Amino acid sequence: MANTTMQVASPASVWAMRARSGLTVMRRVPKIPTAVLLILLIFAGFGQWIAPHSPVAVDMANSFSPPVWHEEGTANNLLGTDKLGRDIFSRLIRGARVSLSLSMFVIALGGGVGVALGLISGYAGGKVDAVMQRGIEVILAMPTILVALVFVFAVGRSFESVILILSPFLAARFARIVRGETLSVRERDFVAIAKVIGTPTWMILLRHILPNVFNTIIVLATLEVGHLILLESSLSFLGVGVPPPQPAWGLMVADGREFLTSAYWITLFPGLCILAAVLSLNLFGDWLRDTLDPRRRQL
Amino acid sequence: MLKYIGFRIFQALLGLWFIATLVFILSRSIGDPAEVFTARNSGVDAREIMAAKLGLDRPVHEQYLKFLGQLVRLDLGDSVSNGIPVTQILVERMPATFTLGLVALIFALVFSLPLGILGAVYRDSAIDWIAKVMAFLGQSMPPFWSGIMLIILFAVVWEMLPPAGKGGWQSYILPGFTLGWGVMAGMVRLVRSSMMDVLDSDYVAMARAKGLPEAVVIGKHALRNALLPVLTYSSLVLGAFMNGSVVVEQVFAWPGIGTAAVQSVVRRDFPVIQGVVIVFGSFFILINLFVDIMYAVIDPRIKYTN
Repeated sequence: MANTTMQVASPASVWAMRARSGLTVMRRVPKIPTAVLLILLIFAGFGQWIAPHSPVAVDMANSFSPPVWHEEGTANNLLGTDKLGRDIFSRLIRGARVSLSLSMFVIALGGGVGVALGLISGYAGGKVDAVMQRGIEVILAMPTILVALVFVFAVGRSFESVILILSPFLAARFARIVRGETLSVRERDFVAIAKVIGTPTWMILLRHILPNVFNTIIVLATLEVGHLILLESSLSFLGVGVPPPQPAWGLMVADGREFLTSAYWITLFPGLCILAAVLSLNLFGDWLRDTLDPRRRQL
Repeated sequence: MLKYIGFRIFQALLGLWFIATLVFILSRSIGDPAEVFTARNSGVDAREIMAAKLGLDRPVHEQYLKFLGQLVRLDLGDSVSNGIPVTQILVERMPATFTLGLVALIFALVFSLPLGILGAVYRDSAIDWIAKVMAFLGQSMPPFWSGIMLIILFAVVWEMLPPAGKGGWQSYILPGFTLGWGVMAGMVRLVRSSMMDVLDSDYVAMARAKGLPEAVVIGKHALRNALLPVLTYSSLVLGAFMNGSVVVEQVFAWPGIGTAAVQSVVRRDFPVIQGVVIVFGSFFILINLFVDIMYAVIDPRIKYTN
């Protein structure tokens, strides 16, 4: 009985039901990952008011100061300083902004293009679909880090060039999955009816298909942010990511490599930040997928 | 099926051509190609010789065809920084990268097979949780950082293993494990889920019903069928290793192709990085091609005709 009601329910009442079950769902949110992500978002948004020091202020007299729990450590630099005396904690906070904003841009640009391509490819079918899919496969078959290495080598190191080179890879992943979803939504009755009453194609895509693949897009975006943070930090570590003095986490790890035995804190904390961010995103994304979209556990 | 294989080969060639063209466009767009392909402070003579070699006085499409022709003959030019032919550099460094990838694959299999199998057999037990934690960590840790942490623990603190470089068998352990850990996550999940599917199947129920010992049911009936997807995944993983090895080789100062790529970026040695991208890209595409063809051959349920 409940099932039949579900099927004929109008969108508005479905939303009402969702709102009612929303409370139950919120209680099951994975608490630690959500908290970590919230902290990172706050750091990224309001970092300049939270950070005790400027992330780029050099203080040579105070270089290699250890974290506060060491005997020589001071509360002034909670997590110590690097070889130029810059405050690690402040740099980590600023690094959250670098990593997250870069990932957001790539998700917006690459993800947006990917969703559009996936919708078109899946809805159009036939030759359009075949050509687009072959193109996507070519992109997916290329080693990301190496291609990014060459690209940044050629156009120079900047925030924008990292976004530009990572976006096509992300677009390809989005396009492939959105296309698969579109293929099945396309066959549903409401799309056929919309077609019969003469709805323009772009409106069918935006009003009828996009809302039905939206859950998948949200889940994919969450999981891909984690993936992007790993890629971005790897590029920074290799010296082809966001240029210094911007404190990218990957770059900070690379900076501390020479001083592993004498000043482990320069390397340890940025790595822990990457780990915490990506782990939280993966756990949160997994939970989101199970909640929103239980059919796609393989995503 | 032959049609499908033919099509996949065509597609792979298209991918190779795409990478080559991309490299060509980049090489002509960074600046004066004669300067790009010669050492930074070389004289006018060297640049003119290079300009003649690249055919810069010819129209672009002729330069492009010449470039493709050299590629087909495996002529990747000479390194700007030491004048050694790029092909020679790559051939010398290939074995180190290859053996590292192999060791990483062995590590990934040695850890993920037992963890995945036991996780599926004893669901939600302690071992299942260990497997999950290992998998999530491997998936979420940047390999350059986990590598450094392993160096601190095993080379600096406990002094058990060499911190970097390629020497005896001990030197393979840390970089191999670091590289393997990243793909272990996917593998544990895959082994666990495909093992769970098989354990729920009718023929396993049948094997149990006829009174076979549980060890035989799992080892013989279930495991063999659960392993097929893992084998396919293993070959795909080799592609992932190419991406990972750039980073891991850098951490462990491993004398492989990945290190050559990063060094050539630092030295602005375009011919070498061009060679690495073309060779790695080709490998990547060929592995994907091989996996797809194997899939079509092994699994007759999949039909590839449109």
